Amino acid sequence: MRILKINNTEIQVEEGTSVMQAAQMSGIHVPNLCWHDELDHFTSCMLCLVKDQKTGKLFPSCSVQATDGMEIVTDDDEIHEARKTALELLLSEHVGDCEAPCHIACPAHMNIPLMNRLIAAGKFDQALEVVRHDIALPSVLGRICPAPCEGACHRKSLDEPVSVCLLKRFVGDSGQMAAKVSAQPTKWNIAVIGAGPAGLAAAYHIRLRGIHVTLFDQAAQPGGMLRTAIAEEVLPQHVLDDEIEFILKTGVKFLGGKSIDPEEFATMQKSYDAVVVATGTGAGEQQPFGLKATPKGILVDRNSYQTDVENVFAIGNALRSSRLAVRSVGQGKEVAFSIWQYLNGKTLTGEPRMFNSRFGKLVSDEYSEYLKESVPAKRIVPGGGGREGFSADEAIAEAKRCLHCDCRAIDNCKLRVYADEYEADQKRFKTSDRRKMTKLNTHSFLIYEPQKCIKCGICVRLTEKYGERFGFTYIGRGFDVVVGVPFHEELSNALTETAIRVAKSCPTGAIELKENGSIGNVNADGEETRTKYES
Amino acid sequence: MTKNFQNIDRIITEKGSEKKNLIPILQAIQHEYNYLPEEALKYLAGKTTITPAEIVGVAGFYKQFRMQPAGKHLVKVCIGTACHVKGAGLVNDAFRRYFNLPHGTDTDKTGKYTLEKVSCLGCCTLAPVVQVDDITYGHVAPDQVDQVIADFESHQGQIGTRKFRKADGSEIKGEIRIGLGSCCVASGSGEIEQEVEKVVSQSGLRVKLKHVGCVGMCHQVPLVEVVPNEGEPTLYAKVKPEDVKSIVEKHFDPPGFFSKIRNKLFHFAEEIQTDRNWDGVQRYEISMREKPVASFLGNQVPIATEFRGIINPLDLEEYQRRGGFSAVMKMFQSLTPDEVIEEVKKSGIRGRGGAGFPTGVKWELVKQEKENKKYLICNGDEGDPGAFMDRMLLESYPYRVIEGMIIAAYATGIHEGFLYIRAEYPLAVNRIRKALEICRAHHFIGENIQGSGFDLDLKIYEGAGAFVCGEETALIASIEGSRGFPRIRPPFPAQKGLWGCPTLVNNTETMAQISYIIREGSGKFNGIGSDGNTGTKVFALAGKVARGGLIEVPMGITIREVVEVIGGGIANGRKFKAVQIGGPSGGCIPAEHADTPINYESLQAMGAMMGSGGLVVLDDTDCMVDMARFFLTFTQDESCGKCTFCRIGTRRMLDILENITSGKGKPGDIEELEKLAEWTKKGSLCGLGKTAPNPVISTLKYFRDEYVAHINGVCPTGKCIDMITYSVNDNCIGCTLCAQKCPVDAIPFTPHEKHSINTDLCIKCDSCRAACPVDGIDVR
Repeated sequence: MRILKINNTEIQVEEGTSVMQAAQMSGIHVPNLCWHDELDHFTSCMLCLVKDQKTGKLFPSCSVQATDGMEIVTDDDEIHEARKTALELLLSEHVGDCEAPCHIACPAHMNIPLMNRLIAAGKFDQALEVVRHDIALPSVLGRICPAPCEGACHRKSLDEPVSVCLLKRFVGDSGQMAAKVSAQPTKWNIAVIGAGPAGLAAAYHIRLRGIHVTLFDQAAQPGGMLRTAIAEEVLPQHVLDDEIEFILKTGVKFLGGKSIDPEEFATMQKSYDAVVVATGTGAGEQQPFGLKATPKGILVDRNSYQTDVENVFAIGNALRSSRLAVRSVGQGKEVAFSIWQYLNGKTLTGEPRMFNSRFGKLVSDEYSEYLKESVPAKRIVPGGGGREGFSADEAIAEAKRCLHCDCRAIDNCKLRVYADEYEADQKRFKTSDRRKMTKLNTHSFLIYEPQKCIKCGICVRLTEKYGERFGFTYIGRGFDVVVGVPFHEELSNALTETAIRVAKSCPTGAIELKENGSIGNVNADGEETRTKYES
Repeated sequence: MTKNFQNIDRIITEKGSEKKNLIPILQAIQHEYNYLPEEALKYLAGKTTITPAEIVGVAGFYKQFRMQPAGKHLVKVCIGTACHVKGAGLVNDAFRRYFNLPHGTDTDKTGKYTLEKVSCLGCCTLAPVVQVDDITYGHVAPDQVDQVIADFESHQGQIGTRKFRKADGSEIKGEIRIGLGSCCVASGSGEIEQEVEKVVSQSGLRVKLKHVGCVGMCHQVPLVEVVPNEGEPTLYAKVKPEDVKSIVEKHFDPPGFFSKIRNKLFHFAEEIQTDRNWDGVQRYEISMREKPVASFLGNQVPIATEFRGIINPLDLEEYQRRGGFSAVMKMFQSLTPDEVIEEVKKSGIRGRGGAGFPTGVKWELVKQEKENKKYLICNGDEGDPGAFMDRMLLESYPYRVIEGMIIAAYATGIHEGFLYIRAEYPLAVNRIRKALEICRAHHFIGENIQGSGFDLDLKIYEGAGAFVCGEETALIASIEGSRGFPRIRPPFPAQKGLWGCPTLVNNTETMAQISYIIREGSGKFNGIGSDGNTGTKVFALAGKVARGGLIEVPMGITIREVVEVIGGGIANGRKFKAVQIGGPSGGCIPAEHADTPINYESLQAMGAMMGSGGLVVLDDTDCMVDMARFFLTFTQDESCGKCTFCRIGTRRMLDILENITSGKGKPGDIEELEKLAEWTKKGSLCGLGKTAPNPVISTLKYFRDEYVAHINGVCPTGKCIDMITYSVNDNCIGCTLCAQKCPVDAIPFTPHEKHSINTDLCIKCDSCRAACPVDGIDVR
């Protein structure tokens, strides 16, 4: 047995135990990328650096055995900076997008590539679920959204962006789904003031969590500006009515023709557990309901939308006039999460946004690589003309134009998780031109993108251990080293029996199974549940 | 259709078919094809237990291996430190232009020549150096590349077989010693040798022609020393073939009256025929009593280089006559292994590879290991681009290195050992191979050495080109047939080394000093130098110094003594700016700290390190940011790529340095560079990465103002090509020399008028400035 101290706590471990394992036994997670349970230590990523308290020196804990009398510190400012720097160095040569550019650009943060893939697979109902996860009014926005996502689309560099907005309209119009209100009803009551896009979305997403929602509006009918400011030929009445009905049917109580004066508002603050102000651009009130505000609108916390009053939240054009319905709709979703945190007595953080690796624009050398997962067809214009949406065939064909820029490891990439945890800045070491993306897509169920590889060697060591005839190897050395298949063999010859094991062991998205993706929900404790979509 | 690979079958039979044989197999295949054809490698994978992943992994790791066919002839441009400071980059560019090589290619269109940069040819005193196949050209200027190729082509097919003339001992009137170190050979000592043979055979003289190892005075090569039986020996420097006859005749009378007449007549006739205008031999004669030579050699203490310039590297009998192997005999007769270790410990010798770990302590650790199988490795994987000590020791004193290994093996209970030698040192490999054969024949290695009952088998392992393999765990991985990836220590090789067995790894220079300690006693060794830093250290002195060469100096000597006394100060009257000590792991120490004594601790305190022993002197024309960039280019290229901080950290540091030296530096770059240097040092796995930032850190410490100047758009020394422009000043006399030399016609041919340079066309090759007779070209 070996007795050592980790973070001033004594621990006994068996001889031969690494310092990293010893730390893990004491419940301390030491970050690592090149470590693999089935393999010997390799000492590549250097993320597991810890400090020997006696000498003050850092060493990689995965590769050093615990010895008697060791005094180890697993986290302090210096160690934190070391790991952050290591991550930033790795990220500086890690070329790839985590979330697709369209996904990041969407003010409602909708998983567009997943929607595209489900449409391409003919799974319109599932595609609608994916849209409604973030956007409560798919058919409406499918008609009026200026589509910032299309501006960010990588395909734009190649020919024209994917017609995301029309695809969303198509699933909104053609897809069928039932809203899934939480099976466990709560005792909480929330008032949402204003039934425009922000208020409607907030009401919907709050209601899905099993919370009672009362939606107020000064107009007799819900819809706000959507009902009054948009021409019938752009947004037909029945489309709006259908989508509002879908929301109300989840159990949202609507009280129309009801202006709320400051006095009533004060009462509401007490009678409801929380209030969401979604009153739109308003009538130029300087301090609506006495909330702290600027000339532009109500002041809120940027992440949680909480106002200066603890149980009052504000969203949409009440904050500042943007005339971007999709942003209002997105905020409606986000505020639901904040309210959920608030009601559960948690610290308000707002909806978590993970670190995203981004590499900028596609360059011409990369077009053919990205087209390996797409089709060369031009952007499709609906046959029925501008006012008509896509037919099913058109939608499928257009959705197939999506380049699959999003990473398949988006939910299980250790590099991303640590980059997020250590708040790494990918641009810190942007000191020279990036590498060109390539995609090895010849394997039937996995894909290899070498520029995402961090050279941890897990695949090399696993294929060696399991006796793959070709397997992976290091080719070249130093900064230019690549992990590849010897003798330019096909990927399918490199990975036979080990394919799944290797794909699952890759700490980044370099080697990944061809899965469609997922959408996630985070509970109040920050635990995430994900819904996977297979094609 | 698969090719018939009988040759590969033969190689496998010769070299073996296991993973540990992989590097020798690949070397043999490359020897066969000039590169490694993929089909041949596939065949190899099919015929052996070595996997495709192992083959491709190893083939791609080592610099020696080419995956693409090379041209018929290899043009190697040395870009070592000394060559770099003397303009090797411009020479390389000139070759690229000459061969018309587009970016990304290195073989000319006809497939005749392949251009290659090599990190050091070990002829630092002839910098800049270019090697075309086996012919080495020194002091090559960018505008001479066409002459180099023309000369090479004129020698094609002329290379005759070497004759060897053996004189009859009784009638020998003396000997003529010819230096055969790589520098001497490179500078043409082979031709001198042929000429001496010719002269001697024509004259019928009874003199012995003797090959000696490196004298160390590499700035004077080729060297010929004439040692008559009576009278003083005379050393001739920078000898040309046409000088040989006069030199020989000056010292030796040809036998018999008629011969003499005949000889004189012959000489006379030849002089008329060739109309050679020759201004006498005196110019090349240097006497040991003359001041420069006395200064160069007099301040040195030869231990590893004992009897330099005197003994024939491979003459075993002579080695023994001069005390060689007496340490081994003494040891077998009267010393137990523990006593040997005690003696080595008392001597205070520390590892000469650079880190300075006490050698005796290391030996003790290995001895304590109880395993039956242990290995000994002599580390001769010298990769520092400005150092060639190991090469010289192996070439010139092979027996001394072997003797040190026998002593080490006996002391630690080892019976099997390797000499790991860079394949770029073919002469060293050959000498050691022959020396091992001779030692085996004379029972200095093999079973029951000299009747002592002690067995030791020694083999050569040829490295394949990877600086990182100087690191002991990477070196071991390489002998095992793997990529030269270092691994974390502990376990140290002394506990778990080669194939998991306890392994003693000592540097070549350490090995070369051991026999002296045992023969002369530890007291004599530790009487040199100071406490904790005893004995001597060999350095490769090069750069802007007047007299470069290989020197062995007592520990504690100051930098000033080395540069000013031994090296004769700065050449061409320039100002002494700094010394770069320790190569890519070391640092630059500025002239104002020249009184720093050279020992492990003081160098480290100054931000440099002993390192491998490269000592490159810099003058006021050298840009310190460019020096930092130069070393980072090297370490970045040599990083094995295993750990994050070294693989990417060195690259990002280099990026920043490249930006700074190309005028793209921006505020904050210096600070980021400093931070990154700190983390690369702290976070890297092995010594390569941990020391790679030293050249940056030390130049930032002493020459920060130069970095700041670059950020502000000025390279103070005008070295950084992207930051300078060439122009003609009023000194111009309109002689058109510059216009004639300009390779891109950027200077119009305007005789008798002040010339001008079209800066749009100018490629800053420096040819005009070098050609101008009146200092009429400004570089700003």
